[in-house]
Amino acid sequence: MSKADQCPSTVHEGPKHKPSKQELSRERRSLLSSVSGKVAWRSSDEIADTPQFRDFLEREFPAGITELFTGSRRTFMKVMGASVALAGAATLPGCRRPDHKILPYSATPPEDIIPGKPLFYATTLPLPRGGVEGVLVETHEGRPTKIEGNPLHPINRGKSSVLAQASVLSLYDPDRLKAPVYFNRKRNNGAGERVLATWDDFVTWGKDYFPKFDKSQGAGLAIIVDKKSSPTRDAIKASLLKKWPKATWVAYDSTESVHAAAGSKAAFGAPMHDLIDFSKAKVVLSLDRNFLDANAEPRGLVHARDFASTRRVEDPTTADMSRLYVIESGLSLTGGQADHRLRAAPSKVVALACELAKFMLPKLGAGADAVVAALPSATISDSERKFIEECAKDLMDGAKKGATIVVAGEHLPAGVHAAVHAINQALATTLVKFATMSDELASDSRAAMATLTADLKAGKYDTVICVGTNPAYDAPDAKAFADAFAKLEGSIALSVGQSETTAAATWALNGTHYLESWGDALAVDGTISPIQPMIAPLYAAIDAAGNPTGQAPMSDIELLAFIAGDRRADGTARDGFELVRATWKSKLNAKSDADFEKPWKRALHDGLVAGTTGTGATPKVNLAGVAAAAKDIKLDAAPAGQLEAVVRAGWMHDGRFANITWLQELPQFGTSVTWDNPALLSPKTAADLGLLPASATLEEPNTMYTKEKYPAGRVAEFEFAGRKVTCACWILPGVADGVVILTPGYGRTNGGLACDGVGFDIGSLRGDASSVLSGVKVTATADYHAIASTQNHWSLEGRTAIVRAVDLQTYTKFAGEAMKDNDEIYAGIAAGSLNFAEKLGELSHTPPNVSSYDNPYNRSAADLNPNDPNYNKIPARGHKLNSKTAQPPNFAIGPQWGMTIDLSTCTGCGACTIACQAENNIPVVGKKEVAKGRELHWIRVDRYFAGDYYNYKDSASINYNEPEYIFHQPVACVHCENAPCEVVCPVNATVHGNEGHNYMVYNRCIGTRYCANNCPYKVRRYNFFEYGLHKFNGDYVGKDLIESIAPDRGGISGSGTHNKINPNLIPPRLREKLDEIERMQKNPDVTVRMRGVMEKCSYCIQRTNAAKIETRLQDLKSPLGTSWVPDGFVQSACQQACPSDAIIFGDILDTTHEYKDADGTRKGSRVHAARLSRRSYLLLGYLNTRPRTSHLLKVSNPNPALVTNEHRRAAWDHPFHDGGSHGGGDGHGNGGNKEHAFFDERRKREDKGYALSLGVLSSKAASAIGGGLA
Amino acid sequence: MSTLHPDEASARRLAGLPTGELPTYPVAPGTGDGSLVDDPAVRAPLVLNNRSFHDITEIVCGYAEKPPGRWWLPTFMMAFTIAQLGGLFIGYLVITGIGTWGMNNAVDWAWDITNFVFWIGIGHAGTLISAILCLLKQKWRTAVNRSAEAMTIFAVICAATFPGIHIGRQWMAWFLFPIPNSNAIWPNFKSPLLWDVFAVSTYGTVSALFWYMGMIPDFATLRDRADLRLRRNPEGPRVLPFLPIRTDAIRAYVYGFLALGWRFSSRHWIRYEKAYLILAGISTPLVLSVHSIVSFDFATSVMPGWHTTIFPPYFVAGAIFGGFAMVLLLLIPSRELFPNMKDLITLRHIENMAKILLATGMMVGFAYGMEFFIAWYSANQYEAYLFANVRARGPYAWAYWTMIFCNVVSPQVFWFRWARQTVPVVFVVSFLVTIGMWFERFVIIVTSLHRAFLPGEWHMFWPTAVDIGIFVGSCGVFLTLFLLFLRFLPVFAMAEVKAVLPQASPHHHGNGHDHGKAGH
Repeated sequence: MSKADQCPSTVHEGPKHKPSKQELSRERRSLLSSVSGKVAWRSSDEIADTPQFRDFLEREFPAGITELFTGSRRTFMKVMGASVALAGAATLPGCRRPDHKILPYSATPPEDIIPGKPLFYATTLPLPRGGVEGVLVETHEGRPTKIEGNPLHPINRGKSSVLAQASVLSLYDPDRLKAPVYFNRKRNNGAGERVLATWDDFVTWGKDYFPKFDKSQGAGLAIIVDKKSSPTRDAIKASLLKKWPKATWVAYDSTESVHAAAGSKAAFGAPMHDLIDFSKAKVVLSLDRNFLDANAEPRGLVHARDFASTRRVEDPTTADMSRLYVIESGLSLTGGQADHRLRAAPSKVVALACELAKFMLPKLGAGADAVVAALPSATISDSERKFIEECAKDLMDGAKKGATIVVAGEHLPAGVHAAVHAINQALATTLVKFATMSDELASDSRAAMATLTADLKAGKYDTVICVGTNPAYDAPDAKAFADAFAKLEGSIALSVGQSETTAAATWALNGTHYLESWGDALAVDGTISPIQPMIAPLYAAIDAAGNPTGQAPMSDIELLAFIAGDRRADGTARDGFELVRATWKSKLNAKSDADFEKPWKRALHDGLVAGTTGTGATPKVNLAGVAAAAKDIKLDAAPAGQLEAVVRAGWMHDGRFANITWLQELPQFGTSVTWDNPALLSPKTAADLGLLPASATLEEPNTMYTKEKYPAGRVAEFEFAGRKVTCACWILPGVADGVVILTPGYGRTNGGLACDGVGFDIGSLRGDASSVLSGVKVTATADYHAIASTQNHWSLEGRTAIVRAVDLQTYTKFAGEAMKDNDEIYAGIAAGSLNFAEKLGELSHTPPNVSSYDNPYNRSAADLNPNDPNYNKIPARGHKLNSKTAQPPNFAIGPQWGMTIDLSTCTGCGACTIACQAENNIPVVGKKEVAKGRELHWIRVDRYFAGDYYNYKDSASINYNEPEYIFHQPVACVHCENAPCEVVCPVNATVHGNEGHNYMVYNRCIGTRYCANNCPYKVRRYNFFEYGLHKFNGDYVGKDLIESIAPDRGGISGSGTHNKINPNLIPPRLREKLDEIERMQKNPDVTVRMRGVMEKCSYCIQRTNAAKIETRLQDLKSPLGTSWVPDGFVQSACQQACPSDAIIFGDILDTTHEYKDADGTRKGSRVHAARLSRRSYLLLGYLNTRPRTSHLLKVSNPNPALVTNEHRRAAWDHPFHDGGSHGGGDGHGNGGNKEHAFFDERRKREDKGYALSLGVLSSKAASAIGGGLA
Repeated sequence: MSTLHPDEASARRLAGLPTGELPTYPVAPGTGDGSLVDDPAVRAPLVLNNRSFHDITEIVCGYAEKPPGRWWLPTFMMAFTIAQLGGLFIGYLVITGIGTWGMNNAVDWAWDITNFVFWIGIGHAGTLISAILCLLKQKWRTAVNRSAEAMTIFAVICAATFPGIHIGRQWMAWFLFPIPNSNAIWPNFKSPLLWDVFAVSTYGTVSALFWYMGMIPDFATLRDRADLRLRRNPEGPRVLPFLPIRTDAIRAYVYGFLALGWRFSSRHWIRYEKAYLILAGISTPLVLSVHSIVSFDFATSVMPGWHTTIFPPYFVAGAIFGGFAMVLLLLIPSRELFPNMKDLITLRHIENMAKILLATGMMVGFAYGMEFFIAWYSANQYEAYLFANVRARGPYAWAYWTMIFCNVVSPQVFWFRWARQTVPVVFVVSFLVTIGMWFERFVIIVTSLHRAFLPGEWHMFWPTAVDIGIFVGSCGVFLTLFLLFLRFLPVFAMAEVKAVLPQASPHHHGNGHDHGKAGH
């Protein structure tokens, strides 16, 4: 895949003679999206030499090709006509036949590359606000296709976040800037015109331009970079500011909140990162801190991993589990995991924090009287006080001393952060240590940006350089910035993607993606890691032979170094490789160059510098400082009728990730909304303000999904401090009343086809205020805005067998017995006993497979009793299938693949969904298709709000305003051994494999969709359209016509406004295909499905097969002499990404091999152990589908003192509901059963009727349930 | 014919008509048209107006030979246009993708299979009338069997369209057939959808054979009449004024080709009768099997609302129900548009069919009730929820109650004789039943799927213009074909109708024998 195979005459299949309007309009876009800039922009010299161009040239730039920005159609036509003529003229000999060039691995094949086999390289993903992830990049013949976590990196440990997974797509973003664009002010009669340029042009320009600051010492120069920790950039910054001390350097992140830094500064004298070790936590109180979310915190992955380790209870006799209290304003990932969750507006969270401190500090004898005195007094309700006090008692529990911690969220004022540090010190917690935070990260950049904007307006700067930032969109006063910036001669914007800032800049420079550039990064714990390129910059200028020529696109450090005058001996700019090595020479303590190479190579190989990971220190809290900070705490709630708004960054962060379609379509936490950023309100608040979605009611808030074809949120106008924005409103159970959650990063205007016009830009509401806006006025407008969500039902409808959950109290009391307990109903029918989870919930049991025939499917691993002597008997190799002697799969022959998903630790973060999307070439479908329920994600995370879970109430009785539980249940194809889909497929397109896979044969599938209908899990996904093969929101034939007929309906959307045409409805032949760059992301090991074909989770069979090939090549043999894939040798994509390790995949028959890992020695695979867990149950197992994926019961750990719910407490003694306990038997006759089950919906019938039907099979079964049936 | 058959005389007396006088139309509802004899001692006439054998020939051949009324061409053009529009929608569907329909990942079948089952159901009445009523020696079938069979064929054509186009890759539909291929991949014989392929194609083939074979003697009549006219008047009407081709020449040629050399010999008739009986015997189980097998699409699945053992008889009853409603829906207007058709299709016929509607309507009503009962009795939470909460009270409850009203409530008027004998009432009820039977399939398919096991994957289905267009188009195809049938083919089985004339009876008075009289 190189530029060399692009003969100019063949790359453009379009116009040879006279291009039609349509072709030209298509050309217009492909111009900027073509790999090489092909025809016209190979080099300006070539163009300049052509007579046709002289009319259009001034200096060396061709004119008016920048339709994307402002150029007119007319000039575009002129230039294109000429360029096409040029292309024809220049390449006449090649016109007769396509002249494709291929690059064989011939004479000297690149070392290590085996075509078809991916290579993995370590690099580092820099994330906003100093976040860092160490990643491994899967590259196929040099093109990165998938990101994995780096197992060596302390943040990742092999796991990865949603952003890491999605970052690969931004490399192939078709809307990236392809070449520098220069705004020539002299052209167009002085009105200016944007022209495509080359990096050579910029370098030439810059060499003339920047030396002027030598004289002024940098006065008039402002550099706006994004907040990140990069040693090399810091070094460049230092040298630049040393050279030009009067220059302004702003590290800007619009989503930041610097209260935490200020709080730690008050407490410790310097801003600090906390390094919290949740793995030993016993009690955690989170004050609005979303610490489990890798998207919200640099160490979110670590927290999720550590916290999950405290939530896995197995042995009920020694059950030891952490307890999480969360007080929060919105509904976060962390709140979803809470054992006790209190909704509170931000001001109330502050009040509760103050009360907590006042309650705890004196009791702990921390000598913090000054702090207590300084804290403001707050009024809180009795129930809130009870929550605080019980929580405090739990935190101060002597038995848990040192293992309890309070954490505060970034929205809370600095005083609260300081007070929390004081509390933690008083608690003598051993869980937290601190690492120094750089001044850049601690700085209040929003204030700095506000100042800069004012100065810019005042004319203090003549040169503003935005490096990876987009202040024209997200500055506190973005419009003022953009206007002033656009007027500057020296406005320069370096950006990977298009942005509002590049659109306004004199020089819009196409920066390099992190997968294309050299760099380095510093994690919050001090780990230094390199960024190394996986691929040469995709959009470098090329010469006639297709080789890169001239100055390559620059990364941020390269540009900054160039501006700072950093040059090689020959006067050319140093590249990133040299810059990073120069910085690292000091970091690696290399005495000589020879000394340097080895650790450098080691670091590149490992993806980090060993030994740089800090453990943090435990500085002493300065109580006086805390008291001083506490004095500044304000408790003002919003005035009546007004809201407190919390601005919380989502996956788009400040908008920089907005053009990543995977992220746009990833269902958002809680709401499952895609392609939008509605303002989130609690149902009650929305009802009070008249902002409920169309057709929703307070009693049954999610009825909009059944009543509206496109459920629509009310558009409202939000006003704060005189600034107004409009945004659609949506309801989310669990948000505090009187609070609105706003998500920035949407409503882009020049970010690309996937994000322009998607959602609402709420950035200007915030101004330079903190992330909490108290006193936002809301006015409902008459408009509605369609909202597409992937999940339209909120309630489990009492189907408690689907998500099984108990409290720890129940688990410790009953789980142990249940394992020993022989089930009376099944005794005599099926061997073995039911575990604890299998006894819970209605319709919970898998019935015995009583067949009239000798059913080969009976020979299932699930049927085998582990105590059976034949259990581990693996038949010899050579089990083959052929058409003559084909036998149904024998599931007793390993390997048999299976999976477990732990509901206790799943946080619902969505990393599995997007990892699967990246691995399996799953296309996005667009907003309208999502609204129709056609998303293609192979693994989805079902989310349910539950009220009084133990009371089996139906949806009508759930208090959606204050749900007691939020459950997350990832569901993918469960690979049933008795798969309902397989029998119904008329063409044998979905069949069973010998290793337990439910295969989906795309070539054979004709798309009857019968399989999907008959799938009880509804995990099959249908390609209703040719989603994967066309450019998202791309051009199509006849677009101009449609736009001319119906301007508001024309165009393309699938994502943006509701009334635009869904591009999928355009016949595929008329649509623009994926360009070759976009195709490069596809995983070559997985088919790209066409339309009309069913698809679904394959258990990442391509990985499994690769692992099997690898192990056979290495001749790995199990002790039994059979071929063997050791546990952990293959991971499914979802498992690999899952930050909390909730997904385990492996060979369920692997019971004998011994493995040694961090947890010690174990026998058998992890998935085997997990399936034998007391918590393991089969989803809808009663259908006898025999899923290979089992789910693990969720256990929560409530504080008995805080559980007031009678049903919940009663369930601690009667977990099997009324009648579910076959072992006990006593439950069967109880009152509920007497009600008329059918019509009162209370579902008191449960197993009684079920057992009745079984009674037909066994009289013993009938007698087992005794009186209940009499 | 001057002398009236005594039965006919009684009929006229009971109908309040003076003996020997021809009835005039319209006949007052209270008295009927003379076919509504309710006296067990009297055999009600199956053909009115004292028609002779020749009259029957003239009437039936007249439809195919004489220009139709002015209504025919506009109606045909309209139906044909609708059919073509449906074709355009199908073209768009095939070019663009199944997504142009409104389905989603929860509701993967909706209007497509609804329409398929609807049309297949309609197709049942024809074969039932031809085969089962033939075996049961129900003589009144002779008046309606030909058009009912035609309707069956056309309905099967419409039905067969939908499985063909509803698949995602229509060009791969041949995978469904057991064609030996180099991949050695056969269809999955366990799949009910494959059973459908065989059941429907068998049914279509046998029905077409049955229909065609029944028409052979009538084709021969048409052939001979055209030939005779041509011989008498070689300068008969031309196809087009300037073309020297005679219309009757074309008739003689085409009908002659279709008549397969039929010469009305006794030997022909004997073989014809035997073949007819054999085909009736073959068709009878098919009537029961086809819709049973169609119901297996649902009954063999695991989905609540589909996984139901009552489906085969329930579907067959429903199909007969819907099919008879469609027969009535077609024949009642035909009767009005071809007034002499009323001699052949009498109120008695309509009343009989109304009775069948009542009976089968109550069968489906029983099935609807039984589904609820079993949902409760099974104590299965998902099953119970589907019926108690979804079908009767969910977002598609309107469809469910439409179905109940149309299929269960509306036929109840047929308990009243007046309603059975009043053509407009029968027509309205037939129309309602046709709607109700479409909704029955919609309810079974969509409401079961849109709220299946896991509430996390519940989605609504909303039809699109393409959904609607293709269904309406299929109605256009159906109507187009039926109008062509009315215009060009023998709409009645002449020989069979003649066989039920009083004159055909050996005891008939006017036929030269007098042992009828002597016998008394």
